[in-house]
Amino acid sequence: MPLDHRRLCGPEESQPPSLWAALAAEDEDEEGAGAAPRDPCSLRPLFARAGLLSQAQGSAYVELGSGTKVLCAAWGPREAAEPGPGRLLCEFRRAPFAGRGARGRPGGLAEREAEREAAAALREALEPAVRLGRYPRARLAVSALLLQDGGSALAAAVSAAALALADAGVEMYDLAVGCALCRPPAATAAAWMLQPAEPEERRAAARLTLALLPALNQVSAVLGGGQGGPPEDWAQALRLGLDGCHRQYPVLRQSLLRAAQRRDAAAAATAAAASVA
Amino acid sequence: MAPPSRYCVPGERLCSTEEATAGSGTYTRHGFIFSSLAGCLERRSEDSGLPVVSVVRDSESQLLPNVGAVVTCKVCSINSRFAKVHILYVGSTPLKSTFRGTIRREDIRATEKDKVEVYKSFRPSDIVLAKVISLGDAQSNYLLSTAENELGVVVARSEAGVQMVPISWCEMQCPRTHTKEFRKVARVQPQFLQT
Repeated sequence: MPLDHRRLCGPEESQPPSLWAALAAEDEDEEGAGAAPRDPCSLRPLFARAGLLSQAQGSAYVELGSGTKVLCAAWGPREAAEPGPGRLLCEFRRAPFAGRGARGRPGGLAEREAEREAAAALREALEPAVRLGRYPRARLAVSALLLQDGGSALAAAVSAAALALADAGVEMYDLAVGCALCRPPAATAAAWMLQPAEPEERRAAARLTLALLPALNQVSAVLGGGQGGPPEDWAQALRLGLDGCHRQYPVLRQSLLRAAQRRDAAAAATAAAASVA
Repeated sequence: MAPPSRYCVPGERLCSTEEATAGSGTYTRHGFIFSSLAGCLERRSEDSGLPVVSVVRDSESQLLPNVGAVVTCKVCSINSRFAKVHILYVGSTPLKSTFRGTIRREDIRATEKDKVEVYKSFRPSDIVLAKVISLGDAQSNYLLSTAENELGVVVARSEAGVQMVPISWCEMQCPRTHTKEFRKVARVQPQFLQT
């Protein structure tokens, strides 16, 4: 039988979906029950690694404990037609398998709009950190791919994009660290939580994403909205978010240092091999 | 055995401006020197004044042609008014992505600018040393100039396909067919001459 290359073939055997549907329903109940006693100021474990893609000049992978995985690639200055300081072009894409459950309309307008908004937010967060004045008439490109959405996706993307740009050798003033907060609906306790997981973010009454430049202690972007409480609440949320960013910074810094050491070791090894051969 | 080098990330505070001066890959703010690249810290002591602190990344350096830099380019097309080139090297570092440049007819020579013919100065696929005079505006690319003795054609192939030998500042000769062709030839710098 000729192979059909246009379609993805399913498995040979098929089973009724009701088996798996029951399991998913149980999972949801467990998560709902276990979410309550979570410390609102605790940070999820963060994994960051820079310098893993060979196709791009700089790359970074950030993974949060709640399951958010972001892969980001950056390219150095290329010629642009417009005069003036350099421009930063950001792109944010969600993998088709990133979310749980079925997608409403795959490839539809809503998804594209959300991606465009996220790309604009990424650009707003990264532009103050990059020394665009050093690259006149040039174009820097950053592309972020969300592999799995477990909450706080944009914050992880900001951190990954900053790491990728630094790994690509682009001159920057500082690394941008992103942190997300959310506030559960008013019925339950109204305290702001750091780095929400996906179900918490879905049920939240208000969400906030912060991007901070830690060494300069400057906030580069504040994004979010929702039904908030009094203004002091938002100020307190900002302080909590800044604190979260400062706590994440050492991990990102360490990953960048390790990537630089690995790159130098690899360069020294190839130079030694070339001189021997 | 090299001493263990110190790596730094962008935004890391290195030292104050009183102890050293800022070199490449760093910036100063509030009287302190911060790193601007993720790389190796290098401290060079100058004879006059303070040591220079800079951050280097050995593998690649993202260089852009600056105004006044001498660049090596390859001619891709010529016109009666200008020559379009691809900029390949800035100084002695190769560029990762090629930039496009233009050498206008009045920038080819320093003297007798109106009698210049582009066809007698450059041909496509010549390697030319030029200097950047402007970053260009919205419509044009980098503007280059060869209006000096040391700038101009360095390597050219004759119509027979053989690399030509320069005989004067305006002529090159093919070693196989002995035909002379017109080019605006760069003067060989004295350190490269073997006498």
